[in-house]
Formats: sequence, C-alpha cells, structure tokens
Amino acid sequence: MKKLLTALFVLIGLTTYGQTTINPDTVCVNSVGEQYFVTNTATSTYQWNVTGGGGAIQTGQGTNSITVDWGGVSGLYPNAIEVIESNASGCPGTPVLLDVYILDLSGSAIGPFCPGDPSSTLSGTPTGGTWSGTGVVGNDFDPSIAGVGNYVLTYTLAGCQTTINVTVNNGPVTGPIQHY
Amino acid sequence: MKKIILVILSTLIFSTAYSQCVSNQSFTLTPNGPYQPGDIVTVDYTLGAFNGININWIHAFQINLGVGWTNLTPITAPGNPIGSTGNWLWDLQNTYAGGFNFGPGWRFVNSGNAGWGTSSTGPFTMSFQVTVTQTCTADDLSISMEVFDDCITGGWSNGTCCNDPAYVIYNGNVQVTIPLTSNINHY
Repeated sequence: MKKLLTALFVLIGLTTYGQTTINPDTVCVNSVGEQYFVTNTATSTYQWNVTGGGGAIQTGQGTNSITVDWGGVSGLYPNAIEVIESNASGCPGTPVLLDVYILDLSGSAIGPFCPGDPSSTLSGTPTGGTWSGTGVVGNDFDPSIAGVGNYVLTYTLAGCQTTINVTVNNGPVTGPIQHY
Repeated sequence: MKKIILVILSTLIFSTAYSQCVSNQSFTLTPNGPYQPGDIVTVDYTLGAFNGININWIHAFQINLGVGWTNLTPITAPGNPIGSTGNWLWDLQNTYAGGFNFGPGWRFVNSGNAGWGTSSTGPFTMSFQVTVTQTCTADDLSISMEVFDDCITGGWSNGTCCNDPAYVIYNGNVQVTIPLTSNINHY
C-alpha cells in the first residue's frame, strides 16, 4: 500500500511538473523540435537564449516553453540554454542555465558473415548503449541465430539511435565427392 | 487693521521660538501598506487645528513623497471654515515672491492679499491619490505632510514662524518580488 501511494505521488508529480532534467541535458545530433520548459507563472514573461551547438529557437520565445532545433556538431555545450523570467513589473529573476550535450552515435561495421560463423562483438560510440535487432544477443551478433539475410541492427543511447547493416550470406554448397 | 492690532498683542504675548502651530493631525491610508508596484493608494489627511503664533496664518499644505511614488492626484481640497476670502489651489510647484519654493500640494490664494494665507483655524481635511511606480528596487515610499504659514512663505513677518515639522503619514519601501524560476526541463 505504501509503495502504491509512493508511485501515485510520483505520477502526480510527473504529470504536474514534468520530468526533471539532469544537467547536462542530452540531445541527438540534428534533432528538431526539442521542447524545453520551466514552471509557468501566468503573469511572467520568459526570455530564452540558446547559444552553441547550432541550436535555434523555433517556437515559444516569451513563454515558459520553447522548441529548439539542434545542429550537427556533437559535444558538450555549457550554458547552452538560458532563461530569464520577468514578473508583471518587469523585474528579472536570476538566469537559469542548462548545459547541453549533443550526442552523435556511430556503430562499427561488421560482417559479412556465413551462417556458421561465431558471434561477433558489436561496438557503438560513445559506449554505454544497447544493441537490438535480429541475431543480437547482448552486445554480440550471432549469425547462426540470425540466419541468412540482410539485417539492420540498432544502437541506442540516451534516446538517440544509429544503425548498421549486417549480411549473413549463404555458405558454399558442396556437391558429393566424385571419383574419377 | 485687524492684523496690526493683533501684531502688537502677539509680539507681547505669543512670540515663541520654534513653536508648533498644528495640532490633532490624523490620516487614513486606503489600502494599508505595504505596497507593491502599481498599487494605488488614497490618502485622507486632517489637520484638526492650526493656531498660528504671531498672527501667522496657515498658507499651504505640502505633500512630501518618496521616489517610489508617482501619479500624485488631488481628490479633495482642504476646507476653509470661517476663513479669509480665497481658495485652496492645487499646485505642483510654486515659488513665492520671497523665493520660498513650495509643492506639490494645496496653497491658499487669499483674495485680499496674495501673500497671506487664511485666517481659518481648521479643521482642514483633504485627500489625494498616489501610485507605486513600476520598479524593481525597494524605492522609498514615504509620505509626509508639511504645513506652512504665511510667515514661512514670506508674505507675513511678525517674528517667529510656526516651524512645524513634517507629519509622517507613511514610512516604507516598495515591496519588490523577484521571480523564482524553476530548473529547465526537457520533454
């Protein structure tokens, strides 16, 4: 019962205030329409500034919520997002800042394989993500499980994804031994 | 003629240094403080009695405001019970013939002698409105009322002036609220 109530409070909290973003925030390279917000005060206005990372505000300037399109250069951008709230009297509050880490995933190519080949380790950069797809077991690709075919394997980290293509070819078909 | 006779009597009897001529001052503020930017406040002020020394007549009510106030607006002028012929004039600034600077407030314009105030001893009730400026700093919101006799304004000279201190109606500062912004969240 106690756990149920705790879960309920957490759910209400998330519904009311949204998620709490850990600093730095992580976004995918070239992501679009990323929404950032602060708790709204009806009589306040909000001045947002986005610097670095090729970020550009698309909507919401002046309100408590904006959308941002990010650029194509990965890396950590300190204080990339700033918001200054002003109350009805025009008095500004303390600027609130958020660092942004733009994530660019890549996966190392593997294969091609034959059906009987041993498992091959999958490698993604940065490390720490997870692989998924046909024939994937943990962070390995097992051609014997996948079988013959072309497969798209996905590497996922912090909500970002990248893919690699893997091929398992038919093995050679050897005829019966002949005797001249 | 009246003043001449009274001059002699007052010189003999009433001449007192640093005397105060005002009494029974009171006020109401609507609403009561503290105040925030944009608040509009109505001030009702009453001087219960003015008993001038040396035949000094009451001449002007000056409103002293801190820098946090704006839009000073008169609502009701003082009365002139059993006083000299004339009227109370609202003025933001006036320099009397003798060089005394007054304002803002009400000053009595005596129809018979422009340099004199009114012989009325009150009571005098008046009201005005002020607005708190839109500011982000805790500006001064003091309000006080100064009463000047025609000795101070320079129209009458018969010894010591009343020299009444300013009557404090309000002492305070703008209540400034600075927004507290939550952390930035990302959906």
